[in-house]
Amino acid sequence: MKKKINKIRQYINGLRISRFRFWIQLISFFIFVYGGYFFIEIGSRLPIFSCPYVPGSPGGCYLLGVQHELNSTWSSIFSPRGISILKSLGIFLAFFLVLNKAWCGFVCPLGTVQDWITKLRMAMGFSFTRYDQMSFKRLKVIKYILLFLLILIPLAINNSFFGAPKLPHGMHTPFCQICPARIILPLFNGDTSQIYIDFTDTTTIIMTSLGLMVAALFFVGSFVKKRFFCFFCPMSALHYIFSRFSFLRLEKDGSKCTRCGNCYRACDVGIIEIADDITSKNIVKDDCIMCFKCVEACPEDGALDIKFFNIPLYTASHEGFFKRYGVGDENTKPINLDELINSKEEKNDKNNRSQR
Amino acid sequence: MLATITDDFPDNPENMKYFYDKYKSLTSEESIYPKDKKVIASMCIHVPVEIIHALGAFPVRICSGAYSTDMAGSDLLPSKICPMVKSTLGAIHLQMLPGKAEPEIIINPTTCDQKKKISEFGEEVGAEFYTLEVPPTKDTEEARQYWHRSVKSMTKKLEKVTGNKLSRRKLRKAIKKVALAQAHFRRFMELRKGFPVIWGKDAILVVNSYFFDDIDIWTEKLAALNNELIERIKNRKEIIGRQAPRILLTGSPSIFPNMRIPILVEQLGGIIVYEEFCSTSRMLYDTVAVDEWFLYDMVPSVADRYLKPSTCPNFTPNDDRIRKILRAIEEYDVDGVVYQTFSGCQLYDLESRRVSNAIEDAGVPVLNIEIDYNPEDSGQLTTRIEAFLESIKDNKRKNFKK
Repeated sequence: MKKKINKIRQYINGLRISRFRFWIQLISFFIFVYGGYFFIEIGSRLPIFSCPYVPGSPGGCYLLGVQHELNSTWSSIFSPRGISILKSLGIFLAFFLVLNKAWCGFVCPLGTVQDWITKLRMAMGFSFTRYDQMSFKRLKVIKYILLFLLILIPLAINNSFFGAPKLPHGMHTPFCQICPARIILPLFNGDTSQIYIDFTDTTTIIMTSLGLMVAALFFVGSFVKKRFFCFFCPMSALHYIFSRFSFLRLEKDGSKCTRCGNCYRACDVGIIEIADDITSKNIVKDDCIMCFKCVEACPEDGALDIKFFNIPLYTASHEGFFKRYGVGDENTKPINLDELINSKEEKNDKNNRSQR
Repeated sequence: MLATITDDFPDNPENMKYFYDKYKSLTSEESIYPKDKKVIASMCIHVPVEIIHALGAFPVRICSGAYSTDMAGSDLLPSKICPMVKSTLGAIHLQMLPGKAEPEIIINPTTCDQKKKISEFGEEVGAEFYTLEVPPTKDTEEARQYWHRSVKSMTKKLEKVTGNKLSRRKLRKAIKKVALAQAHFRRFMELRKGFPVIWGKDAILVVNSYFFDDIDIWTEKLAALNNELIERIKNRKEIIGRQAPRILLTGSPSIFPNMRIPILVEQLGGIIVYEEFCSTSRMLYDTVAVDEWFLYDMVPSVADRYLKPSTCPNFTPNDDRIRKILRAIEEYDVDGVVYQTFSGCQLYDLESRRVSNAIEDAGVPVLNIEIDYNPEDSGQLTTRIEAFLESIKDNKRKNFKK
């Protein structure tokens, strides 16, 4: 039985997870951008940019929920009504903990759009850019700042912080107003109504103009950098807070790692720790989108492992690596030395025992 | 030397014959390389061979192990420097490169000091050297960017020398060709993890011949050798008993015909199961990983493979080398380590203390030897190696009794 399982695992480890991911992304895009037209209803606490401004959306992004719920007075939040905030968080976690940040890499429609733009860039033969380490370190905090602001601003609209004046109502869902998904995803439903500037008052003019600028920046950025927006995403920051409790895990065995850097090369976001950190077991960082390209690129048996609870699903293997290269055949398959030796062991066993 | 290798040991695998013959051809009067391809010579493991293959040229690594050319090199270089560098320069001067190679250009990476400086002898020895700039560290971003630009410049120079342009399709083919060789090499190394079916001296010869052999033929012959070794494992044909000390060899590289240490170790009852040399495992272990198969990503990918995974002591820090050796000790069930340093080789000498301490902390004894290419001082060496192997055997016996 164990042999059969190992054979199946060996077969799976030789497949290209990036192909599998392409199809899951396509199906998910369909569900989360057109699902509403087919009466699919998934609630409004989703851990991806399933934007409710999209007419065909089957549900809503949790960040919108957070901004709405925190748009209340302190007395309201700390009353029994506030339990709904915890319930909301609970539903969000119930979704999130199953797939960890693979929601980003496999399901999020905005992520999928970025990957398609990357494919367009490749088809046109243009090169990509990467952040240098210094910029990487400086820019990664932006997602935390955005998360902090989207929590703080709705609260500050209804409550006065330290005697400061309350913020204007025009900033009611501050992140949604600047979010590129609000403007871009409805385009897939033929809905251009989100491309507008709200002239109600100064605040809304500023916020919606910012939104248009961010959307433009999104297109340019995604064209030159892989997964440009994900680096600044407050949902990603929120994920990371709970990531270590998740059921789906990406684990590294530092003793098997040769620090060859293949994983870092393959990483869309550019996380150097996958290659250089040889002590941590949980290798999911705050920028990681769990696309698993690193596991695909790793040639060392067992160095990187995708686990669901403790069941390994897809492990880096040298056989898989060379197979994906197209140089895997009977003559390069790895050898199971124990199997080879044991194939004759039964016959020789009696002789050996008498010799000892 | 070749005679010792083939005749003094029993049970050489059948498929080794191809490799022995290849070494005989090294001293041929005529060039053994195909007439229709330009030969590009290189030193070290840092020159990306994929690019040379993709440009339709034949890469030959000319790091030399010959004492005769070492003496010739001593005329040009100070006597106290690395014998390998002297030997290589001597070979270039006397036009005695392996297989009578006549290279268009010799790519000389700026790795160790000694190697770096011989580029200045180009006019005197009648060869054209190209200096490939290798950064002194491998972990920083600056080093990586420097290296990428260095490889790009080298590519442009080689395009001029060969008269060919680097194309996406050709580079892809070359990367896959090298990957195939590396896949077979990994398989070969796996086969040495169990009970010994091939002598270390043979293993070193096989991998060493990658320096100058045609890569497709080399891969094919290695595949055949692997299959023969698999048969040996199935039939439990051990070439030496279980009591023989399993030795890991590391340090300044053993390059044919400078094979005194491996041969001595094996003549005196040990068996070499792994060598951490730039002439063997370090050259072939890691593979290029490409994300987007276009030239803008393929060339940096190839460059990266020749920088980050390298455990050459030319880089600082080089803790990866200690990790690699410790991992090999575990996977290959090593009983003792022989750390050889060429006299005049400062880099391996400087690392020997830290590496030896790390290995001894892991409970494995280390024998530090300093040698040069002179075949004369075998007497003292024999005694020391013999004593080392005996003490390992004693320990094994004691542990076995427990």
